[in-house]
Amino acid sequence: MTLRTLIERLAPLLACVGLLTLWQVAALGLNNDSFPTALDSVRAVPAILGDKEALINILASLRRMAIGFAAAVLVSIPLGLLMGRSRGVASFFNPLLMVIYPVPKAALMPIIMLWLGVGDLSKTLVIFLGVSLPVIYHSFEGAKAVEEKMLWSGAAMGLSAMQRLIRIVLPAALPEILTGCRTGLVLALITMVTSEMIARQSGAGNILFNALDMGQYDTVYAMIIIIGAMGICLDAAFERMRERLVRWSEPQFDIPLSFS
Amino acid sequence: MNGRAITTDVLLGLVPIALLVAVWQGTVSFGLAPATLLPPPGLVFMRMAQQLTSASFNRDILATLLRLFAGFSIAVVLGIAIGLAAAVSPAINAAVRPVVRVLAPLPKVALYPALLLLLGFGHESKITLVAADAMFPILLSTYYGASIVEQKLIWSAMAAGTPPRAILFKVILPAAAPSILTGCRIGLVISCIVVFLAEMITSTDGLGHALITAARTFQAVDMFVPLITISLLGLILNGLLQAARSYLLRGFPEV
Repeated sequence: MTLRTLIERLAPLLACVGLLTLWQVAALGLNNDSFPTALDSVRAVPAILGDKEALINILASLRRMAIGFAAAVLVSIPLGLLMGRSRGVASFFNPLLMVIYPVPKAALMPIIMLWLGVGDLSKTLVIFLGVSLPVIYHSFEGAKAVEEKMLWSGAAMGLSAMQRLIRIVLPAALPEILTGCRTGLVLALITMVTSEMIARQSGAGNILFNALDMGQYDTVYAMIIIIGAMGICLDAAFERMRERLVRWSEPQFDIPLSFS
Repeated sequence: MNGRAITTDVLLGLVPIALLVAVWQGTVSFGLAPATLLPPPGLVFMRMAQQLTSASFNRDILATLLRLFAGFSIAVVLGIAIGLAAAVSPAINAAVRPVVRVLAPLPKVALYPALLLLLGFGHESKITLVAADAMFPILLSTYYGASIVEQKLIWSAMAAGTPPRAILFKVILPAAAPSILTGCRIGLVISCIVVFLAEMITSTDGLGHALITAARTFQAVDMFVPLITISLLGLILNGLLQAARSYLLRGFPEV
């Protein structure tokens, strides 16, 4: 490994350290009670992760997120692909999706809570809604861009419509679909935090905003670091997986599009 | 595409929305859900028409729009500037790339408590949050659009004696425009979502605050009104952006 690739590998880490240093300097400069230094905040992280109840809360959040994300991906990819291949299906769903896209999904939380209660079900449902839109959109765009000639060749070789969808359209649209999933992953995390902020019952968002209300600023900033680290780690893990799945395709965006 | 096909598409698209409203009405009519939890659609739309003429609701809409526009404008300016700079200069690219890699997947809403503590509960913290969230898609698509500009175009401009600064504004920026506008569209949707969330968390005015007030007093009808309003605002703004796009990109081969 040459020095250059080593520096490139370490660049995100260096950026993290740089941002934390910037924070430290700013905090020392401002000397504000409600803005602890980076060092103090990082020191508060082990205390939270060591606390059994907090750990259970964070794991419960992650479980809801995983379930919501998985369910959304399973529903959205087939729907997006169908929309991309059939004009009728696309014009059937497009206006509905356009209407619900700008609605913040976490804002549905108070209404869904009235029907389903404050439990896991409503939070998972909100995460599901938040993740599905970008995944549908990207699968749609990916399936639309599939080359017609490949489909004709497939049809000429006797593949049924269903087989064509699975064996030609799905792989060809995979890079675009994965871009959508990556956006969805960040979105799942954001929806998770906001849904727990609204239904203060359990979870990482609950710890964060309770600490804010009680003025425990160390905990606030430590939770920000923990949630941020979750986002960065999940994204990096997803990127690994994506590289394996679509090694044949040049990445279009090597940095993810983040949604809220 | 002829006019008739478009009409069919529009009609087909209205079906699921009509179905949704019908199911909504049906659920209420057949008594499957109590009206306190799910008010009938007619009542919601009437309440909405009534609210749209009330001064306080209009103030909420204006407050939301102000934050949305301020945050979105900052995001557009910063996103395009940084994205172009990173695409043009390798030195800036080396500095920006790792920072963006770290900051882009970070859930910005988690930063909101920090912004609150630093900037206070007024407009500033919300505008900053909107700008921080909407900036990254714009930055990334600007960078992507500018880095795939055909080298031959730049060489031709250089051969014609165009100074480097003029190449940036007369060649690279227009060539990257379709991609930049796609990024702006995503950024706009994000701005709508984030401004609403920020107002839900802490605020004294705005649509998000209207929703939270309604939720705290269990006024189910009033909870639906802000949600429908933000959806309509998103649609209108999206339409405006689409119009701006077809004006800015007139003469482009395919948009």
